[in-house]
Amino acid sequence: MYFGAYLTGAFGQSQQLYQVRNEAKRGRGSQEAVLARVTEDTKNIIQLQREVNQNYLIDPMFNFFNLLQPFAEQVNGVEIGLQENWFNNNVFYRRPQIHGPLELQSGFTKKYLHLNHLPADGTAMVILPSPYTLMMLSEITGYPNRMTAVTNLAEILHLEAQSLVSEGIGRIQYDEPVLVVKQSLGSLNTEDLALLQRGMDICGKVTGASTSLHTYFGDAGPIIPFLISLPVDCLGIDGTETRLNEIMKHNYSKKELALGLLDARSTSLEDPQQIADQLKAVAKKTSPEKLWLTPNAGTEYRGFTHGIKKLDLLKEIKVILNE
Amino acid sequence: MNRNCGNKLFPVYEVGSLPKLNLRVRAARAESVTDQEIAEVQNLAQKLSIETNEVTEILKHQQAEPRKFNLQEDSALADFNALFYLKLQEAAGLDFVYDGEARRAEMYRHVARKVAGFEDLPEMIRSRGPDSWRMSACVGPLSLKENSLHSLIIQEFDFVKKHATKPLKVPLDDPYMIAVMSDNRYYLESLRTEYKKDPRKLRYEAKRAFTLALAEKVIRPQVEAVVERGATWVQLDIPAATLDLEHIPIMVEGVNAVVEGITGSKFSLHLCYPRRVSLAEKQGYQLLFPAILDLNQSVNHISLELANADQYENDLAVFAEYKEQRCFEIGLGVTDITLEQQQKGTLENAETIRDRILRASKVIGDPSLIYVAPDCGLRQLKLDRCLKMYQSIVEGAELARRG
Repeated sequence: MYFGAYLTGAFGQSQQLYQVRNEAKRGRGSQEAVLARVTEDTKNIIQLQREVNQNYLIDPMFNFFNLLQPFAEQVNGVEIGLQENWFNNNVFYRRPQIHGPLELQSGFTKKYLHLNHLPADGTAMVILPSPYTLMMLSEITGYPNRMTAVTNLAEILHLEAQSLVSEGIGRIQYDEPVLVVKQSLGSLNTEDLALLQRGMDICGKVTGASTSLHTYFGDAGPIIPFLISLPVDCLGIDGTETRLNEIMKHNYSKKELALGLLDARSTSLEDPQQIADQLKAVAKKTSPEKLWLTPNAGTEYRGFTHGIKKLDLLKEIKVILNE
Repeated sequence: MNRNCGNKLFPVYEVGSLPKLNLRVRAARAESVTDQEIAEVQNLAQKLSIETNEVTEILKHQQAEPRKFNLQEDSALADFNALFYLKLQEAAGLDFVYDGEARRAEMYRHVARKVAGFEDLPEMIRSRGPDSWRMSACVGPLSLKENSLHSLIIQEFDFVKKHATKPLKVPLDDPYMIAVMSDNRYYLESLRTEYKKDPRKLRYEAKRAFTLALAEKVIRPQVEAVVERGATWVQLDIPAATLDLEHIPIMVEGVNAVVEGITGSKFSLHLCYPRRVSLAEKQGYQLLFPAILDLNQSVNHISLELANADQYENDLAVFAEYKEQRCFEIGLGVTDITLEQQQKGTLENAETIRDRILRASKVIGDPSLIYVAPDCGLRQLKLDRCLKMYQSIVEGAELARRG
């Protein structure tokens, strides 16, 4: 069994980045200074991922204020709406207002990413929202029904993914928090599953890259069989929300499994040996094609220093696992 | 009719904060205050009959030699700022007043920095766009740092009480709000073994333990102190009440732990920005029910952000629906306090506010349950906008009284 590790979301900002942004916001600094700091920090975090042998390297997303921002700001036919909480975090996003149907278009994430600093050999990963999550967190008008809307959004996301692959990206992670949050709240129904199914049927397979559907902030346990059936190469599960014994009830023999066992929303550091033992037990019981250790989400919620600490943990546990 | 206000319908209050005076902000950065800033404050103070000689002398001295204020100067400026805002609110016609939180740096930090068992994270955590906050991590058992109660609340309250001519409403942080904005390392690690097989239960129980410890050790001592000194209305601020839909019972339990057994004061909650995209069957303030039916009976008033969405009928319907089981007074948010509105230069006029009050009264079915306020504290806004807002609200409430 091969064990690997990688980051799965936006990295915590450095104090220097906060300071230049704050100065710019108050009219005492420039946007050029912000961009320079973002580039510098991005290069540093990409290099750090290399040094601790992460299997996929990500842009730390310092240009993003939220996952939906590039879509909301760059896609024709979309406007920026009201502020809402990003799930149960003291962090906010602005709802995209989608006036559909949208024309097919791509390239909307490139302005936010540092593709020139990522490797072009297939080991770089870019994170996009899943079509279902994007639709559910947006205000949608102009479509006859939600199935039509998710189809349109999935087509655009697929084009975007394919465009990123042409730039050398080797893996696309679709973030899917909404489905598992609804599951946890008891509001999930068969239409939700059908909508995600439809979306992933369209964008789940990307020529020249592997794909992952990464769920977080909710309990995936009761819907793991459905998630396994989706046409993606890897399934990501939040181990800070989903019981390990629920995860181990299933067989993932034709899937990669990414387990978010490191809590990105806590400064508490997990015991490396304990996490390694848990992963070994999962590998033995569930036979995934590959088993990845990840944080459950981006480390942005606890800042730069604690992000580095979680990154070091990924390295340490990976070494234990591959001894 | 509303308690504390005789027979007056639709009493008006401020939710909490006003912006820091520019000259205090500037001096904190060791920048010279301007003649214009000094003149503006002098003019306003003169209208309010507030003595400015000492403050003017400090400001002139700082202007000649730009630097941060020393402790004595800072204290004099804080007193002046507090008195200034208290008198502004009284002069504007508010029925319940306080000091615009003039002594508090910011609602979370004001308390977090005085808690033993907290340590700051190294970096600011991003929250809204580039806006960030300094998160503290709970790393040990909680208590208030030695002698901190005085600077936390007693000095502030005693000063306001001494100078006020109208009834006070004292805004304080709620324990759940502090828990939500902090990192809960200590309680997660303390309970990890007990709940090792159920991570969701671990998160719930750790947050509950954290919230209750904050209630007992950090917030309740402040409430006891002000009530002992004569406070008759304490407001607990919980902007994050509906943030985690599965944890709302913890919020209720935290409030109850703060107020249980304390007599002589009215208690209220201030809630804002409810989850309108909840992903649950319910949304907005519906999410609070039925959990808030279990609030201690002494909590009889809930202040709500409503103008931002302007969906008074929808937002308030749930309070009417449950009125037979639990009847809350409503602090009706009638003005949108967001920066977007300030940037657009738009502000609700008295007629709009009157209409909102009457719409709300119709939904709730009893006008005597309605108080009137801005959506939230005004810390982010410019002072002249705050004054115009007060004027609109007071006039709007008067129009509503006439029907």
